[in-house]
Amino acid sequence: MLGVLDNNNLNGGQKLAVKYFSVAVILFVAQILFGLIAGMQFIMPDLFFNVLDFNVTRMVHINAMVVWLLMGFMGSIYWLLEDEAGVETVGLKLGNLAFWLLTSAVTVVVLVYLFIQVGPGDDFTRWFVNEGREYIEAPRWADIGIVVCMLIFFYNAAATFMKGRWSGISGVLILDLVALAGIYLAGMFYTTNISVDQFWWWWVIHLWVEATWEVLVGCIMAWGLIKLLGARRQIVTTWLYIEVALMFGSGILGLGHHYFWIGTPEYWLSIGGFFSALEPVPLVAMVVHSVYDSGAHKFKAANHPAMAWLIAHTFGNFFGAGVWGFMHTLPQINLYTHGTQWTASHGHLAFFGAYATIVIAVFYIAVQQWRGGVWMSGGLAGNGWKWKWALGLLNGGVLGMTMALLIAGYEQSFIERAIEGSTWQGYFVAQVHPWFIQGMNWRMVFGVVTAMGIVLLVWDLLTIGKGENRAKQEV
Amino acid sequence: MIDPVEMQDFFAAFFSGALVIVFGAIYALFLAWGRLRGSRNFIAAAYGVYALLVIAVLVLAEAMHFDGFWNLITVVMLVGYLLAPHGIWLLSRDTHNEAEAKFNSD
Ligand code: HEM
Ligand code: HEM
Ligand SMILES: [Fe+2]
Repeated sequence: MLGVLDNNNLNGGQKLAVKYFSVAVILFVAQILFGLIAGMQFIMPDLFFNVLDFNVTRMVHINAMVVWLLMGFMGSIYWLLEDEAGVETVGLKLGNLAFWLLTSAVTVVVLVYLFIQVGPGDDFTRWFVNEGREYIEAPRWADIGIVVCMLIFFYNAAATFMKGRWSGISGVLILDLVALAGIYLAGMFYTTNISVDQFWWWWVIHLWVEATWEVLVGCIMAWGLIKLLGARRQIVTTWLYIEVALMFGSGILGLGHHYFWIGTPEYWLSIGGFFSALEPVPLVAMVVHSVYDSGAHKFKAANHPAMAWLIAHTFGNFFGAGVWGFMHTLPQINLYTHGTQWTASHGHLAFFGAYATIVIAVFYIAVQQWRGGVWMSGGLAGNGWKWKWALGLLNGGVLGMTMALLIAGYEQSFIERAIEGSTWQGYFVAQVHPWFIQGMNWRMVFGVVTAMGIVLLVWDLLTIGKGENRAKQEV
Repeated sequence: MIDPVEMQDFFAAFFSGALVIVFGAIYALFLAWGRLRGSRNFIAAAYGVYALLVIAVLVLAEAMHFDGFWNLITVVMLVGYLLAPHGIWLLSRDTHNEAEAKFNSD
C-alpha cells in the first residue's frame, strides 16, 4: 500500500540495505553528539575530565563518522544490487550474518573506547582496546572482523553481478571495492617507527577519501541520476570512466601532500605539491558535465529531497575537497597550516560535503521505495518544510563551523607557526588569542545549528511520505 | 627545495588559491553554457573569467615563490584550466549525440 512502511516493498538486497541505513543514522546522531561534547571541551577544558576525555570524544566522533559512511555506502550498494544485476542477491543469508557481526563489533568497540580510556599500551591493548591511527582506531580483533564482513559484502556484490548482468557502473564498482578493501590492510600492521606508521596509515585515509571513495560515490551518483532524472546510461557511464581516470590520475600521487613533514624523503614535496594541485581538476570538470546535462534535457525529478542532497553533494565536493583542499595543499603554505584548525575546517566541509550528503540522498531514495514508491516531488505535505529545513540547517551549520574553524586556523598559522616559530610557547599564545577563542565559540553555535538539522532530518526520514497516496513521479 | 610563503603574503596565498579553483569552475560553466545556448556573450564572459584566473594563478605563483620545478605547476594550471573544459565539453557532446542517435533509432 502506498504511504506505509512495508518490507514487502523492498527486494532482498534492499531489506538488508535498510538495516545498514538504520544503523548508519544512529551512528550519525552519535557522531554529532560526541562532536558537540568535543567542541565544548575546547571552551570548557575540564568538562568531563577523567570521565569522558577529549581524546575519547574526538575518537568516537570521527570513528562513528567513518563507520556510518561506510555502512551507508554498503547499504547503497545492497540497495542497487538486484536492480543493476537483474537477479536476486547471491548469499543474502551470509550478508545478513555479516551485518549483525559488524554491528555488534562496532558496539563492543565503542563500549570499550568509552570504558577503558587510560593505561599503558602494549600488545594486549593493540589487540583488544585501541590500535592507534586516527579514524581507524578499532583494535585488531575488530579489524579482522571488519575484513571478514567486507569479504562477505564483496562476495554478495561480485557473485550477484556474475550471476546476473554486468554494466559499466557495476564493473567500476567492483574494481573499486577491491582497491578500497585492499587499502584497509595497509592500516593494520604494527611498527615501532612513527614515520613508517604514518606513511602506511595515510594510504588508508587519503587513498580512501581522495580516490576510492570518490569513485564509489561516482558510481552511486551515476546510478542515482538514471533513477531520479532518467538520465541515459551510456552518458553517465562514459562520464564515470572519465572521472575515474582523472581521480586516480591525480589522487594516487596526491598522497604526497601528507608526506611533507613526517620524515619521508624530500622529493615528496614536489610529487605531493604537483599532483595534489591537479586534484581539483575532476571536480571542476564535473561542472561542465552537470551544466550540459541539466541544460540539454528538461528533467523531472522523481525525488526532490534526494535530488537536493545530490546537488548539495556536487557543491560540497567542489568546495570542501576542491577549494578548501587546494588552499592548503602546497608545501609552501602547508608548512604553516599543517595540523591546525585549518585542517579541521577542510576536514569538516569535505567529509560532510562530499560524503554525508550523498548518503543522505540515498536514505531518501530508500524511504521512498520503503513506503511503496510514493510521491516525493513538489507539493509534499506541509510543502516539505521538514526536509527543506533539515537541508538548510545541516548545510548552513557545517558551513558556519567551517568558517569559524578557518578563522581559528588562520590565526594559528599566523601566530603559533609564523610569528612564534612552532614553539611550545607559541602553541599556547595562539590558543588564548581572541580570534581562536571566538572561533571555538562560533563553532559551537553552528554545531548546535547542525544538531538541530539532524533532529529534523531523522524526524523527516521517519515521516516523509506517510499517508501519501500519490505514486512517484515518472521519469 | 621550497621557499615558504612570507607572513604578509598569507592572505594572498589562500585567497588566490581559492580563486584559481573558483574561476576555473566559473570559466568552465560559462563556456559550457555558452556553447549549449550558442551564446557569444557567455563565451566572451568565459574568457573574461579565464583572464581573472590567469591573474589569480600569477598572484599565487608569486606568493608561493615558485621557481625551477615549481614553475611547471603554474604552466600546467594555466594550460590545464584553459583546455580541460573544452575537452570535457567535446566528450559530453559526443556521448550525448551518440546516445541520442541510438535512442532515436531504438
Ligand atoms: C572528499 C575528499 C576529501 C576529504 C573527505 C578530505 C578530508 C581530509 C581530512 C579529514 C584531513 C585531515 C586529516 C588529519 O586528521 O590529519 C585532510 C587533510 C588534508 N587534505 Fe583533504 N580531503 C579531501 C580532499 C582533498 C583534496 C582534493 C585536497 C587537495 C587539493 C586535499 C588536501 C589536504 C591536505 C593538504 C591535507 C593535510 C592538512 C595538514 O597538513 O594538516 N584534500 N583531508
Ligand atoms: C555538531 C556538529 C559538530 C561538532 C561540534 C564537531 C566538532 C569536532 C571537534 C571538536 C573535532 C576535533 C577537532 C580537533 O581535534 O581540533 C572534530 C573533528 C572532526 N570532525 Fe567534527 N564536529 C561536528 C560535526 C561533524 C560532521 C557533520 C562531520 C562530517 C561528516 C565531522 C567531521 C569531522 C572530522 C573529519 C574531524 C577530524 C578533523 C581533523 O582531524 O582535522 N564533524 N569535530
Ligand atoms: Fe589527502
